[in-house]
Amino acid sequence: MSKIVASGIVKRYGEKEVLHGIDLELEQGKIYGLIGRNGAGKTTLLSILSSQNPATEGSVVVELSSAGAGEQEDWKGKDCSANERVVEGRSRTDTDENGRENGRTAKTDMGHAKNELRLETVRESVWENPKALSHLCFSRELNTMVGNSANTMKVKEYLKIASLFLPHWDQKMADRLVAEFGLDTKKKISKLSKGMLSMVTIVVALASGEEFTFLDEPVAGLDVVAREKFYQLLLEEFTETGRTFVISTHIIEEAADIFEEVILLDEGNILLKENLEELLERAWCVSGREDEVDRATAGYTQHHVERLGRSKSVTILAPKPGEAPNNERTDRLEPKPGESVENERADRLTDTDIERGQSGRKPGFTRGSTGLTIQKVSLQKLFVALCGEEH
Amino acid sequence: MHEILSQEKSIYIQIKEMIEEDILRDILLEEERVPSTNELARAYAINPATAAKGVNLLVDEGILYKKRGIGMFVRTGAKKAIMEKRKKNFYDDYVKRLMAEADSLGITKEELVAMIQEAPAGE
Repeated sequence: MSKIVASGIVKRYGEKEVLHGIDLELEQGKIYGLIGRNGAGKTTLLSILSSQNPATEGSVVVELSSAGAGEQEDWKGKDCSANERVVEGRSRTDTDENGRENGRTAKTDMGHAKNELRLETVRESVWENPKALSHLCFSRELNTMVGNSANTMKVKEYLKIASLFLPHWDQKMADRLVAEFGLDTKKKISKLSKGMLSMVTIVVALASGEEFTFLDEPVAGLDVVAREKFYQLLLEEFTETGRTFVISTHIIEEAADIFEEVILLDEGNILLKENLEELLERAWCVSGREDEVDRATAGYTQHHVERLGRSKSVTILAPKPGEAPNNERTDRLEPKPGESVENERADRLTDTDIERGQSGRKPGFTRGSTGLTIQKVSLQKLFVALCGEEH
Repeated sequence: MHEILSQEKSIYIQIKEMIEEDILRDILLEEERVPSTNELARAYAINPATAAKGVNLLVDEGILYKKRGIGMFVRTGAKKAIMEKRKKNFYDDYVKRLMAEADSLGITKEELVAMIQEAPAGE
């Protein structure tokens, strides 16, 4: 399994620090959603990961496992002196898959007895390293201007250049996508609408064929039909190839369903990186009479607090399963002096409540005696709750 | 299988329930192949891992089973098993909530029973 590992990424523009020590691991075969407010550092992060922008501090490394990738032959036996070569001592009998993969390697690599028995992991630093970059594609937002003058390059010229720089370029797919979006390739970049510019970046990203592909706001300016088409095309490509995609977007509600993991960037820090389903299973909106809500959510940080008369609604994020709850909540099932255990339980959110919500049979549920309403929260709402607060 | 996914429930739960619903309605027959996770992902524009999570719940419950290299199939007796399960949950899912709502509206048990007796049977 290949992956991208970024460690301690700091980026400063003059005095201003926009990324404060980012550690991030991107695994092969996942669709990641990168979300964050304007200026959170999303584009900067993607450009550093793909070596289009140097990091002030930190490193980005692509880990390539020798099994399974045909083009690995390219570098096999060649000079890797500048790079760290790591041999993992896993035997071919580890798993079925490894065995099969190694079997294939053995056929193409006769005589290299050692290679037959080992899975190799090669770490390649991303910076100006074609070996690493040939696995990456960051399809950036296009500008209609180049410096002070209009970008007069035609779409087909831009695609031609992309095809020359991207070693795994799929021209058939590029042609198909151009036709699907109805793009006029004779048009100059400077004459394209916002939506058309997005289409060009989508064509480049999908046709690049790269193992790790980053898309920066691919749906910006696209109409709803074209957006649906994009999600569809992306899933088609993903289910066929298992390429890794990182997609930054502001249209969270729409794109959430296609993400497996979400990376939440807030003011230059990674606030969360988690499986989306698991994240949403621990996010709750609790509403009801103010004192009841406060009692039930005691010990949790209340996000996105809204009051209307006597009622109050808050968003809470329960701890990850297996993780200790907030300090104050460890005692939550113990009665206070003078209170029976039942009362205490009825007054506070309990694991059972959360399980009931998770069972999925009830979209939301109400605590009979206290009249609390506990509902699921969408990714968009959770995002607003976590990042929309004044700092 | 063309219901629209809602935001109120986890997507994988909805996928699971859709398959159950299709088995109950004879849209999916026993010993028939269910759509693959990739097919589900493309049909509903969701992540394949999410679709797989829903399908795997049904495998765990013994509703579906895996034929290696071919796909997931509906087990014989699946329809009956789903009905049994839903019957078991009927009290919690419907009766309790009915009572709670009736209670908050001041509807007495007698009035409730009368309503049920008057109500036409479901199709």
